[in-house]
Amino acid sequence: MLITLAWRNLWRKKRRTFITVSSVMFATILAILLMSMLSGMKDQMVDSLVRTSTGFLQVQDALYFDEPSMDHSLEYGEEVENAIEMHSGQISFTVPRIQGFCLASKEISSRGVIVTGILPEKEDLMNNLSSNITEGSMFGPDDSFAIVAEDLARQLELNIGDTIVLLGQGFQGMTAAGKYPVGGIIRFFMPEQNNTMVYLPLQEAQWFFVAPDRLTSLIIMTDSEEEVAPLAESLQSHLDDEWYAVKTWEELMPDALLAFEARDAQVKLFAWVLYIVVGFGIFGTIVTMVYERLREFGILLSIGLKRWQLATICLLETLFISFIGVSAGVAAGFPIVYSLFVKPIQLTGELADVMIDMGIEPIMSFSIAPGIFIYQAMSIFFIALIVGIYPVKKVFRLEMVSAARN
Amino acid sequence: MKTVIRTNNLSKVYKDAAAPVHALKNVSLEFIQGEFTAIVGPSGSGKTTFLNVIGGLDKPTEGSVVIDGVDIATLKESQLFDFRLRHIGFVFQSYNLIPVLTATENVSFIMLLQKQPKKEMERRAKEMLEQVGLSDKLDVRPGKLSGGQQQRVAVARALASKPDFVLADEPTANLDTESAFNLLDIMARLNKEENITLIFSTHDQRVIERASRVITLVDGAVAKDEAFDR
Repeated sequence: MLITLAWRNLWRKKRRTFITVSSVMFATILAILLMSMLSGMKDQMVDSLVRTSTGFLQVQDALYFDEPSMDHSLEYGEEVENAIEMHSGQISFTVPRIQGFCLASKEISSRGVIVTGILPEKEDLMNNLSSNITEGSMFGPDDSFAIVAEDLARQLELNIGDTIVLLGQGFQGMTAAGKYPVGGIIRFFMPEQNNTMVYLPLQEAQWFFVAPDRLTSLIIMTDSEEEVAPLAESLQSHLDDEWYAVKTWEELMPDALLAFEARDAQVKLFAWVLYIVVGFGIFGTIVTMVYERLREFGILLSIGLKRWQLATICLLETLFISFIGVSAGVAAGFPIVYSLFVKPIQLTGELADVMIDMGIEPIMSFSIAPGIFIYQAMSIFFIALIVGIYPVKKVFRLEMVSAARN
Repeated sequence: MKTVIRTNNLSKVYKDAAAPVHALKNVSLEFIQGEFTAIVGPSGSGKTTFLNVIGGLDKPTEGSVVIDGVDIATLKESQLFDFRLRHIGFVFQSYNLIPVLTATENVSFIMLLQKQPKKEMERRAKEMLEQVGLSDKLDVRPGKLSGGQQQRVAVARALASKPDFVLADEPTANLDTESAFNLLDIMARLNKEENITLIFSTHDQRVIERASRVITLVDGAVAKDEAFDR
């Protein structure tokens, strides 16, 4: 009976209910679009960031994270192989790397560089590295030439066919020294990569660092970011933590994590400003509905309706308005978000340039994670509940006689 | 004859005005089951206040109201809600039906609150609407009924739950002559058939002429209490 009364009361003034429901609906659509866009862009940024740098997970020597030197490189042996094999269902692919700081020079020019030994086919799986080659070609397994980052090549005046001399610290105090022909120039979005990266075939780099069969990191990629934490925990439990450390991208890039957390906080703040605006919209309607019906409330209480029953009717009316508005908002918002998820917006102009500089594909991605829709619905319901306190309070404080005379 | 309501030295003072207003002064009355009483008096004489106090909607400043042996001043608010629901029917000047419910639902409303069985409720609502001549308006909402018809639904609602007494605050004030006579005929008939005590506050001579007892209030005090054989 209370539900029937509340429901029918909503339609006593259809236009007002329609306007309120519409305002809740449009706010929900806006909130969903906003959160979907921000969440999609965050996913995209995380994905771009991890693919162009650390990967989702890395297996390292236990001491490498604190003291990244070749002496703390990892022996890629049976224990690591077994642990990887045991988790093959959760792992998309692995990417072995050996990496060290060196001095690169050509004639009288020299620069500090990062020499990285890679397997090109694995890197291509991770970030399509070969597609960034602007001159020359990517090396094959039997080649022994270097690929040099574009800005570094310009600084050292290196062209295809020139020789680059590399000097650094090898494994266990050995000198890492070698000269390699430049077989390719590669372009990176991130300036720090574009100024410092030199790639060698993995085996050649292991020879260069005098560290045969050793890696500084074994990158592990998963299908999604959500799988990273449980996989890291499980992998670590299968590896001796005295020798091996499994690090997530969040541990490897704490600054990036902090930046994402700060951004999330800003997004939530913005979303709550939106919710408060919605809340005031609902509140305005509810206050009007209450004041228009004070006399009726007095009469209902006089003829025998209990205060809690009347309060329930008022609260149900608020919740119905919110439910209809939120449902309509989700129903209308989902197809929009889904179409943007399938076909992201291509960005152009300065914004696109900024994103390219940051190493992020210049598109505006949208997320269709169920959490986005649930979170919006729950938030607006929460606000409706808070707004619903007003008529409840009013009903419990109502003086029947004066209300009935109103 | 059973006494339904007894008031003892009932006083009500409103202190929120610039000077205290004595709305009721030492009103001591008894109402017998089946009586048709009209409370009359000029505006501001305390008629509505008296009905509010004996209906448990307002508390007296002094004195007591005893209904069916219970001093209602001793009841907590939740008990008073239940008490009103089970013992008292109300008819208001402005009909005060629930606009979103049909005539049948409005008449059933009090019985629904009393948690009466659904079938009995429906039977009784239909019966009451037939008695007030609205058997063709069972599923019509108040907005589509005339003032007189709405007041008849209100009377049916007040009587359907078989209360000990019905308080009617100027029920004919907004009705045309024909509707008023019609309503009074119905109420007089139901008063006799159902033996329900009716207490009206009214200015309306047509009501006064039907009442078996007329109590005149002046400045909150009983000026006259007359019985008629009607």
